[in-house]
Amino acid sequence: MPSIRARASGALVVAGACAAVALSCSDRLAAPIQRATSADGAPAPGGTLHLASLADIRSLDPAGPVDEIAAEAMELLFAGLVELDDGANVVPGLAEAWSIADDGRIYRFTLRHGVVMHDGSELTSDDVVRSVERALDPVTPNPNAGYFADLDHVVADGPYAVVFRLKTADATFLARLAMPPLRPTCKSAGRRYSDVWDPCGAGPFKLAPGGWTRGTALRLVRHDRYFRAGLPHLDAVEWSYNVPALAQRFRFEGGELDCVRDLPQASLTRFLEDPRWAAYGEPERDSAIFGEAMNTRLPPFDNVEVRRAVAAAIDRSHYRLLQPALMTPLAQALPPGVPGYDPTFAGQRYDYAAALAHMRRAGLAYDPATGTGGWPHPVDYLLYDEGAVPYTAQILQQELAKIGIRLRLQQVSYSAFLSMRTDPRRPGMSFGSWSMDYDDPSSFFDPLFASPGATETNGSSFYANPHLDDLLARARASLDPATRARLYGEANAIVCDDAPWAFTFLRHFYDLHQPYVHGLAPHPVLGRDVGRVWLDREGAP
Amino acid sequence: VIVRVLRRLAWSVLVVWAVVTVTFVLDAVVPGDPARMAAGPQASAADVARIKQTMGLDRAAPVRYALFWKRLVHLGPSAPRRDPDDPHSTCAVVLPLGPASVHIDLGKSFQMRQPVVDVVAARVGRTLALACVALLAQLAMGLLAGTLAAARKGSWLDRAIVTGSLLGLSAPTFLIALGLQYVAAYRLRWLPLDGFGRTPVEHARCIVLPALTLGIYGAAYYTRIVRDEVAGLLTAPWVRTARAKGASEAGALVIHALRNGLVPVATLAGLDFGSLLGGAIVTESVFRWPGLGELSVRATLNRDGPVLAACVIVTSVAVVAANLLADVVYAWLDPRVSSRRGPDTR
Repeated sequence: MPSIRARASGALVVAGACAAVALSCSDRLAAPIQRATSADGAPAPGGTLHLASLADIRSLDPAGPVDEIAAEAMELLFAGLVELDDGANVVPGLAEAWSIADDGRIYRFTLRHGVVMHDGSELTSDDVVRSVERALDPVTPNPNAGYFADLDHVVADGPYAVVFRLKTADATFLARLAMPPLRPTCKSAGRRYSDVWDPCGAGPFKLAPGGWTRGTALRLVRHDRYFRAGLPHLDAVEWSYNVPALAQRFRFEGGELDCVRDLPQASLTRFLEDPRWAAYGEPERDSAIFGEAMNTRLPPFDNVEVRRAVAAAIDRSHYRLLQPALMTPLAQALPPGVPGYDPTFAGQRYDYAAALAHMRRAGLAYDPATGTGGWPHPVDYLLYDEGAVPYTAQILQQELAKIGIRLRLQQVSYSAFLSMRTDPRRPGMSFGSWSMDYDDPSSFFDPLFASPGATETNGSSFYANPHLDDLLARARASLDPATRARLYGEANAIVCDDAPWAFTFLRHFYDLHQPYVHGLAPHPVLGRDVGRVWLDREGAP
Repeated sequence: VIVRVLRRLAWSVLVVWAVVTVTFVLDAVVPGDPARMAAGPQASAADVARIKQTMGLDRAAPVRYALFWKRLVHLGPSAPRRDPDDPHSTCAVVLPLGPASVHIDLGKSFQMRQPVVDVVAARVGRTLALACVALLAQLAMGLLAGTLAAARKGSWLDRAIVTGSLLGLSAPTFLIALGLQYVAAYRLRWLPLDGFGRTPVEHARCIVLPALTLGIYGAAYYTRIVRDEVAGLLTAPWVRTARAKGASEAGALVIHALRNGLVPVATLAGLDFGSLLGGAIVTESVFRWPGLGELSVRATLNRDGPVLAACVIVTSVAVVAANLLADVVYAWLDPRVSSRRGPDTR
């Protein structure tokens, strides 16, 4: 039998341990790490910017499978003939000028002289032509090749000029060219794609020796002979990949990360409520739209009145409650800021009475008082388990039950979701999302609602409307901004009325940074632009 | 002994074949398109179809299955090049015999677009290191706590250890991991939060928390087993005899009770080691330890069939090898085992 003294010592040990843990667990946010100077001055050169991401990158080859996360690094590694400024306007990059001829079918670019690539060689028109042909070679695993299907050929016109000839006029060509796939690569890339090539371009940063540990980290170092004088300011940029959201918060507070954008919802709320952090956060621009895709080939959504009923039955403010700091209700096919977005256009609005009226017109009248009527069969709704998706699905389920449509949620893995949503025989409805690839309304309309994009895969609604197709083709070919705006306005109205999607919300990232990070700017297409960042961290060497 | 080992090896080949075949079948029938996963959600159908062709996924599943086995072990040049034009560009040489060297070829990762042998080889060492350190931590903590509890059975120390081990058994690994991260890395800043590091010193610092996470979880098992075994053995006639012949209490505990109590521990440790070599999925993911466990998870989520098949092969080989090792250690600890004959010796 243990003595009283032994019991007491045991209890003391346990109590001490608990107290130590409790003390260490006081969950107050760390204070921001202050800058070295009190006011913003001239950019200070040097330093390493530390970033992190929830996921991993798969390729650093512009012709390879470039995903959203890799795009940030690609922007620093590879300079383009044309690039996007802070407002997503196309500006000269490696090409100092360009001209357009033959009603928009011919683009002639004049290259800057003396642009030095990461391997020390000078950029010439041969590099541009070789890089384009390499990227669009059928054996290259380039998932973005389809964006350049209208490119007939590209030829060098002397050492400093390149001519692109298109099969049809395309007003979006310059915006597409600003995407990574066709950016010039060093001669080491060769004429044929290879998986063992080390990325080498003409961007402001180059890959550090042994700088890419797959699945873990990437380190880029300054390209001293970058063609834009005075840039970049940083010595290096480092990304950590596959970092869980909570670990990102811990590392950010500890000063191991300088910027963060993947915080857990609860942590983000605490940062937003903390006055010490108020000046060091900014929302990125909404560049992704979300909605509920309805299979227009299957009943009941082959009836436009049912689709209109769904669009009117969804109270979008309910979705927003899930992540008030990150979500915004969406009533039309375009996010604000994209040419063609009309803030005065009502689009798809919540109107319960109208939703019931649409159901009546579809011959599926529903009586909310008795709960009778509506569509008699359950409708399969396809979703995947990630982020807020399972929760938005439950909100939708409740909203549609009020008009007599019962959803049966089919939650599958993301890979299964991507595969199953392309089958027109199922499901009746699915979660829809689309991120802008380039700053133009065609980046949304063409893949989601025009044939063949919508009927093949991406729209998940298998919607086909020849009138809309014609409208979008004319909008894409027109070089007149006013005509394009009018045509896309018409397209927006058609899509909202025909409702292959019930648009629901926009979601953006929220960038937090330490006070010593300067020049970090949200970018309409890139999310955030770190190319002009500089640091003045207190105590930094 | 040699016949026994050979028999076990023959069974091992069968086990590996069966496990890989099941994986292949599951990968083929479960919905999902590896080409779509590789191309990304916004690629056009035409681009996905083209990529599918470059990945060889336009062939029927049985054809791909046959090609996989045909390619897995074959003969080739002693120094294959990582050149896309070289038919052996995804091979690793396991037995250099000149132009007839033995190659292993696990194909190319759909997602990483690297030879799978390279991907796996880079991670095997890290998983092996974590498995060894974690197992040592498990055994050290488990043996110490279990022996102490047995020696002081019924005391407050015994009760504290039993309660602690119960907590260790009940707490999910991710909870232990997050708790350690919060206290040791976030609050106290003694150790890195996660990652692998660049230098040997950084590797050593980075391995502590994941190894401790696995150590705490596994030590709880060993504590319970060692405590029960040793407590029972302490009352055995031969231990009483040893004491009567003048053996000290510590000698009776360690030499006479603990050594005999190690027999079931060795068996369990062998099985555990095999599982750890397959990759501690949760722990590696939470701590971003770039080993096989983390790789398997990503391969499964991304439908990266070649990587998944490689992980399955490594895991099943590791489990079988660890079992074999456990048998040998078992026989060493208890010589009666190797002298037995008949079906019970298998």
